[in-house]
Amino acid sequence: MKVVCSSSGLINLSHPGQGIMDLLGAGFHDLMIDLSCCYDQELESRIKIDQALWEKCAASQLNIETAYAPYLPRDTKDADLNERLQELTLESIGLCGQAGCHYLIVRPLFAGVGKEDEISLNQDYYISLAQTARQHDVMLLLENQCKNLGGHLVRGICSDGDRAAEWIDRLNAGVGEERFGFCLNTGVCNLCGQDMSEFVTSLGSRLKTVILQECNGQEEAALLPFTSVSNKQSQTDWLSLIRSLRRIDFDGQLILHFSDTAAGFSPLLRPGLLKLAQSVGEYFKWQIGIEHALKKYSSIVLFGAGNMCRNYMKCYGEAYPPLFTCDNNKSLWGTEFCGLEVKAPEALKELPDDCGIFICNIYYREIEKQLREMGLTNIEFFNDEYMPSFHFDRLERRD
Amino acid sequence: MQGIGVQTKNVVYDEEPLKGFTMLKEAGFSCADFSLNSYLDNKTIYAEELNSFFDRSESQLESFFTAHKKAAAQAGIQINQMHMPYPGFVPGGSSELNDYLKDVVADKSMKLCSFLECKYIVIHGFKLARYLGSEEAEWEQTKAFLDFLAPMAKEMGITICMENLYNSMGSHLVEGPCCNAKKAAERIDRFNDRYGAEVLGYCFDTGHANLVGLDFEDFITTLSHRLKVLHIHDNDGRGDLHQIPFTFSRSRENTASTDWEGFIRGLRAIHYDKVLSFETAPALMTFPEELKEDTLKLIAKIGEYFWREII
Repeated sequence: MKVVCSSSGLINLSHPGQGIMDLLGAGFHDLMIDLSCCYDQELESRIKIDQALWEKCAASQLNIETAYAPYLPRDTKDADLNERLQELTLESIGLCGQAGCHYLIVRPLFAGVGKEDEISLNQDYYISLAQTARQHDVMLLLENQCKNLGGHLVRGICSDGDRAAEWIDRLNAGVGEERFGFCLNTGVCNLCGQDMSEFVTSLGSRLKTVILQECNGQEEAALLPFTSVSNKQSQTDWLSLIRSLRRIDFDGQLILHFSDTAAGFSPLLRPGLLKLAQSVGEYFKWQIGIEHALKKYSSIVLFGAGNMCRNYMKCYGEAYPPLFTCDNNKSLWGTEFCGLEVKAPEALKELPDDCGIFICNIYYREIEKQLREMGLTNIEFFNDEYMPSFHFDRLERRD
Repeated sequence: MQGIGVQTKNVVYDEEPLKGFTMLKEAGFSCADFSLNSYLDNKTIYAEELNSFFDRSESQLESFFTAHKKAAAQAGIQINQMHMPYPGFVPGGSSELNDYLKDVVADKSMKLCSFLECKYIVIHGFKLARYLGSEEAEWEQTKAFLDFLAPMAKEMGITICMENLYNSMGSHLVEGPCCNAKKAAERIDRFNDRYGAEVLGYCFDTGHANLVGLDFEDFITTLSHRLKVLHIHDNDGRGDLHQIPFTFSRSRENTASTDWEGFIRGLRAIHYDKVLSFETAPALMTFPEELKEDTLKLIAKIGEYFWREII
């Protein structure tokens, strides 16, 4: 799984030096470029992208992993631009080929297209792109769309997971190879209040990239995940997304797209914001692959005998049974919790070398410090925010 | 039957039910959605602060609602659908509460539905995906609840209708149980095959669908004949406001921000011929009391408009 950063709002494509530097400084190595920013709303060229940009990225060891083909604003009704869009998409495929970029996200044609024609017209459109895509070794990704209904953004083409999956299979069958895949845009899903778990599960291995983008559920925006919050709760259902990506063993790209968040920050704060964004991306990757850490060790123990330990035992206790748990609360030592013996932290000193210690308590850093001061290694964090399932209740604090 | 109906809530009162049913008839309605859920409010259920309404014996409940039944008949209103109190299960609630909701509230609701000679009862699927990990696991719990009700439904000739619901993410409302039309259709068919009767059907809620941007036409045509009743109401796409259709726009072009054209196309495509029932009781609170009859007349007129467009 790769964490990729969208260039939108972060790299000025005609003056990319500082943006590239900031991204590298934050720890990003993989990039998505939105080619729409090179054109105005009438698809007239504003910025010319040439080989120099690719060379600059390559010299900086910044890989261009994915690109967005140019697209029209969602409220465009004029079908006249569709032909131009097709030309630009073919050009974009060529640019991807030059840049060694494997995925190009191509939104379906919608301007002036009636609902009854949208599938057949786009079937022809996508098929018309396939040969060029093959020549340049580029996979074309369809993306879920919303549409504007009196100012209300509702589900549009490709917003049904089952149908999107069938369509991709039909396109691939039509060209005799896996030339088409899917890009799930979480911001669009959120605008339409969609169950991302159902969507992801339907797509399965057809899902190649996930654009991690938050919004308030009403207006389209590209916000950094976890930044649109109401009533102390994120307004995007990240739980459903993470659970389902785990379920399909997702190993594609997680693309952070947060141009609106970036626009809200001073350029002076941009390096700090990018570091946070990189941590957010890595956090998603870690959450989705949470079992990878458990598989690293031949045995494990837990630290903590509370709700997180209980949740661990509910979801992972059978597959990865801990030897015991421990806790700083002396009154628990020698007792049993969720089938585990609760020991004093001192017991951790007797562990074999290849045993992992998983902290099951939100005071992660404090406990980590305590364990390191005891000379312990193999310290890992567990987290129960995005568990495969939850108890109906929470235990009351016992101390 | 091509009827037009509306909730009894905020119109039909226990003290004088004939007055309310007569008002509905005079406003242009032929049917009513009996608001049984208003006798046990959902907030009190979640708070485990239930009133004693359903503690009454079956005969006491029948006695209580006899006046309503007679008044509806006298006014020429058919109670075609009713809403069971919800939720039917509270995650983390006591076993006493959840047993009561099933064994007492749901059981007596079915019996009252039969007593009022009402053909359809709308229930809420359980909201458990967060806890159980998947929509399928959630459905298994709703299915168990329906399996409890289905034998009664078969015996009484009632069709239980599940409706599309939403969940909350902060202040944002997102898809909840029964929002996948294809799955709903398959489940309804399996259920009815298993019971050899039409014990399960669907209630399409336009307001809930609008909140999560569902494609109305697509949803309705996928459900097809399984669609038995409707909850027609409007909102701004943000909150579950239960207002009158055509109330909302979100652009300066002032076109409707709810897909009423898709709604009409969908019902036309499936040859819907039942009741256009409005779940707009809150709108009656929005308008001044003295405009209540006019408000009801407007709702009924919208129903007539829908019928003209559908047929």
